[in-house]
Amino acid sequence: MAFKKESIVPYLYLLPWVIGFILFTGGPIIAAIFISFTKWDLLSPPVWVGLANFTNMFRAGSEFWGILKVTLIFMVFSVIITMCWSLFTALLLNQKVRGTGVFSFFYFAPAVVPLISLTFVFQLMFSKELGIVNYLLSLTGIEGPNWLMDSRLVLWVVTVLCIYTYFTGQMMLIFDSALKEVPKELYEAAEIDGANAVDKFFKITIPAISPIFFFNLVTGTINSLNTSFALIYPLTGGGPGKATQVMSLDIYVNAFKNFRMGYASAEAVILFAITAALSLLQFRLAKKWVYYEA
Amino acid sequence: MKKRLLVGLLVLGLVCVLAPAAYSADTTVKYAHWNALSEEYNYVKAFEEKYPDIKIEFTLIPEAEYSQKLTTMVMAGTAPDVMCLWECDISRFANGGFVDPLDDYVSESETLTLDDFIPAVQDLIEMQGKLYGLPWCFATEVMYYNKDAFDKAGIPYPDENWTWEDFENAAKKLTVVENGKVEQWGCDALGFQGLWYSLIGTFGDDIVNDKGQFSIGEGAKEFLNWWYRLTNEEKVVAPPQISTSGIISTDLFVAGKAAMAFNGSWMVSVYRDIENFKWDIAPIPKGVRQYSTLHTGFFTINSASKVKDAAWKFIEFCMSEEGQELINKAANNPSARISILEKGYYRVQGPMGPENWDAIDKTAQFAQWGYVLLPSGLTFDIVKDFNAAILGQMGIDEVVGKAIDRAKEILGEEGVASE
Repeated sequence: MAFKKESIVPYLYLLPWVIGFILFTGGPIIAAIFISFTKWDLLSPPVWVGLANFTNMFRAGSEFWGILKVTLIFMVFSVIITMCWSLFTALLLNQKVRGTGVFSFFYFAPAVVPLISLTFVFQLMFSKELGIVNYLLSLTGIEGPNWLMDSRLVLWVVTVLCIYTYFTGQMMLIFDSALKEVPKELYEAAEIDGANAVDKFFKITIPAISPIFFFNLVTGTINSLNTSFALIYPLTGGGPGKATQVMSLDIYVNAFKNFRMGYASAEAVILFAITAALSLLQFRLAKKWVYYEA
Repeated sequence: MKKRLLVGLLVLGLVCVLAPAAYSADTTVKYAHWNALSEEYNYVKAFEEKYPDIKIEFTLIPEAEYSQKLTTMVMAGTAPDVMCLWECDISRFANGGFVDPLDDYVSESETLTLDDFIPAVQDLIEMQGKLYGLPWCFATEVMYYNKDAFDKAGIPYPDENWTWEDFENAAKKLTVVENGKVEQWGCDALGFQGLWYSLIGTFGDDIVNDKGQFSIGEGAKEFLNWWYRLTNEEKVVAPPQISTSGIISTDLFVAGKAAMAFNGSWMVSVYRDIENFKWDIAPIPKGVRQYSTLHTGFFTINSASKVKDAAWKFIEFCMSEEGQELINKAANNPSARISILEKGYYRVQGPMGPENWDAIDKTAQFAQWGYVLLPSGLTFDIVKDFNAAILGQMGIDEVVGKAIDRAKEILGEEGVASE
């Protein structure tokens, strides 16, 4: 039996990244799991409390249930809205019109503006007394509501504003390049067979870009659970009350503003479990609708 | 031979470069703060000029991460020698043994005496047992009012004898409604979170009692019910606006759409740029008592510091008249030392106001630390619920009950006063 010794050189090339991952990502994740079983205010030594943080989180009447509900509603609708928007704008950019370069620039421009400045501008725009949105509404005779302070409206406003984040811009670019990869012959063949635009979209475009669609779906879900913090914290701070308090924001507040590292780590572990479970579910379901070219 | 000569020259060069460093007997004191040093009023540079053998290594830590960064640095043992600590951190650091008491330094000092400080400093010493920090300057919370609007409505200006009844009557007269839309509100909504606690304090609640426990109850309920009536039934107070950690992007007072507003005294440096109307300041009106909140940062000495005497020299300089003059002018904040406060270095006038600087001096006499001693996550969270109550989204008894429960969870049962 011929035996060839595998070269270790490729592994050596991987080593720097692996070391960095273990030190800065993997290690802290393991540490967070341990910390979730303690009570720790960062200055005094940690005190082991076992499952107390978790039982506290899941007891009846705990605020955690409300936070979980807000997180899940936000996740579902922000993923739907941002994916539809980014696919829509990518489709527009793939039409045979002049000046798509200019449009491309403007569609992507909000994504590169720092989120903090965007949220400040949104606060001004949506102000009940001084905002331009209510001003325009008043011209048509409608009295605009208090957009960011009405607990029934604020979550929807925040969800829609997700289309201005960097991640949505990135999804648009990825869809854009995916759409360009769809073989034109498929469209021509379909036209010959008498397909209209709707048929072409659902029977050719969607299946052809389904791997990219799936990629954006999974990363979009993970992003809405983890990094929604960057949009929500400056925009509403989680208020009014706890109407927009998503888990990622609650973890930050508990860890660094209330000095409850143990509880915050426990929340982070739960968030990780939810994200992993959702991703697993999406991968399982993907077998049914994602079409990889043979 | 040639190689040896080359090595010899290299070593000689190295010695020449390193020798001066070994001879410089400079002590370096590391110092951290959240404000950049002003060009014009650079108190660090002034200190270095006075004490040439001590160098200050200044680190600017951004405000948003100031508390967290100092905490992690202290744990890692890399914290600066002089830390300007926030009020919510000083207790934790003192209890953890990370900062040294300053009592002996102050009693031996020739320039500083404890009697010269505003009353709240003594309260803090009693609460913590020792003096752990000296306030670099302070800010407090006051009432702002639009003089032109008061003239138009024919109401005399507010003074330190104003009660909440005077306030309500004025607010009703100052609210201007045209075509069903409010063109001018009597008073703006409470933006900065501290004001909620200051106003509740005037209704009698301790906020933080002398044992350091969180304490709100009947005063808060009474205040919230009254404020709810003014906002929703009388409609003389504007409804709550969104704000990011207390920074309001839509300030109705500045826009001339609210005749009165409550805010931190630091807003004087922002409102200074107002050009359209004359304005002034007054202490917060009296309820069952006068109350306002103090904001500051405390100069502290790191227990792990190896240059404590030099660190104290720096703190002493900053608290001296020379240092305080520079700090007050740079930050537009008054000094916590009464003798210097009276000199008014912090008073930088704008074209339209304020004139009644005494309001700040008078407020300093009764203002207390209050909510700033508690974790900011808890106090900000409770304010979000207060806003929800004023918007009618939560019941007022419910909000106060929830606030106490949440405080018990975060501070422990012993951190909350028993009712």
